[in-house]
Amino acid sequence: MRKPVIAGVGASSVGRTELPGRDLFSIAVEEAFAELPAPAELVEAVYVGNQSEQYEHQIMHGTLLAEWAGLRHVPAERVEGCAAAGALALRHAVKDVRSGEHDAVLACGVEKMTAGGTGGATDALSAAFDRAIEQRSGVTAPSQYALLAQRYLHETDATERDLARIAVKNHRNAAANPRAQFSEEIDIETVLESPPVAPPLKLYDCAPVGDAAAAVLVTTPDIAAEFDVPTVAVPGSGASANNIAVAERNMTDIAGARIAAETAYGQAGVEAADVDVAEVHDAFTVSEALLSEAVGFAPAGLGYQSALPPGERDDGWTDVRVSTSGGLKARGHPIGATGLLQAIEGYEQLTGAAGDRAVDGAETALLVNEGGVADAVTVAHVLTAEVAR
Amino acid sequence: MSDLGPDSPLTLPGFFDALADETLLGGVCGDCGQVLYPPRPACYACGSRAVEAEPQSKKGTVYSYTAVHAAPPALEAEAPYTIAVVELEDGGRLTGRVDAPYEAVDIGDPVRLRVREPTDAERSIALSYEEDWPLHEFVPE
Repeated sequence: MRKPVIAGVGASSVGRTELPGRDLFSIAVEEAFAELPAPAELVEAVYVGNQSEQYEHQIMHGTLLAEWAGLRHVPAERVEGCAAAGALALRHAVKDVRSGEHDAVLACGVEKMTAGGTGGATDALSAAFDRAIEQRSGVTAPSQYALLAQRYLHETDATERDLARIAVKNHRNAAANPRAQFSEEIDIETVLESPPVAPPLKLYDCAPVGDAAAAVLVTTPDIAAEFDVPTVAVPGSGASANNIAVAERNMTDIAGARIAAETAYGQAGVEAADVDVAEVHDAFTVSEALLSEAVGFAPAGLGYQSALPPGERDDGWTDVRVSTSGGLKARGHPIGATGLLQAIEGYEQLTGAAGDRAVDGAETALLVNEGGVADAVTVAHVLTAEVAR
Repeated sequence: MSDLGPDSPLTLPGFFDALADETLLGGVCGDCGQVLYPPRPACYACGSRAVEAEPQSKKGTVYSYTAVHAAPPALEAEAPYTIAVVELEDGGRLTGRVDAPYEAVDIGDPVRLRVREPTDAERSIALSYEEDWPLHEFVPE
């Protein structure tokens, strides 16, 4: 089986912009291929992570974005799994290169969330929840995650203040990330005093709405070696679906994330303790706590300590740094692009391109991208600095 | 021919028809006993297809809860409203509105399921096949 590598990454800015999705994608491709031949000379297939046609009244993103990259007559398709769409696109690219189906595949993601205002985004995101019971009861993305948060605070010693610390840490990380939507640090009181969105979650517990596109080239080590570009290996990829309705799942043991991560670890031959940096799906502060436990970084009930430096966490925690990019919370969460933005952070951390937020000696990264609420679908990837030929 | 027509309690029309008659149907797995809301032909817990729809108790307790402050556009006038996951007496968990303010609800509180007609706002966002479906909500006991 061949060992896929990432040999080029690019993204638009993240946040509110006047540019439509396809133009954001053009910016991402320009950066990803800056040191490579044009996409048409390399790319054999395209996968596009995209949540919803409600924003721009556009489906057919495979065809559209392949064309905008200068490609015709290649397989190209949109993949959808709400906020996990980006990592699903990456996973398809990894599988194609692994199997030998293709030698170079473009995994990309795009979302133009601001096109319909806050109400439009709230409505489009609610389509991710079970229509028959949940949507008709009036649930929203924050209220779904609030059900998890309420249960987490009930079952563990964690407090709203502990969750606020995760937001503060992720804003601090984002301040060192030029790709981030937010560049200002915040304090705990700012989080605790922000308006309720779905208690116990407040405005600053929630990732923002934003626009962006991101693109990642997945290819073979041999092809990558023809060009003077840094590469990272993608030795592990796992995915898992769970019940669509939150009520039917274990709400504090995020089984889908555990299974996806264990699959990715197993393929890569690593353990949770080997992971130096992790991008987890912190769409809401509680998610980072729950996922830190599910993927094996923290003992049950102590995931909220992701906000603390490794030396200050309780026994049983690994030394991993979580959401160095600022995470969904502060780097931003342009739904379909998020999984690729996570991959870009892993790539930059493992290739010495992470600037002031670099984690010294980072060799192994875990990416965890979720869709729906929590683990309705989870995709996990392991990236490693060492590229085996 | 499949029995899974609109009269089957293992399809959504069958479930909501029964609910309109004040009967809460759960799918009950003949192999592992898991209760499924709404009923469906296969059990997610064990994969069995030996699922039968059976009337269930409408009593339960609050498992988790929140309030929606930022509602979908069509429901903005109703916000804030309370949402809970309720653990039902006969098994299974179900999400629904709670007819009580957030501050009056706590985990473990006893509640009972009530059936009501959709409001005008809810009807305005219903799909054609949903227009006659009732809504369920929970009432503190």
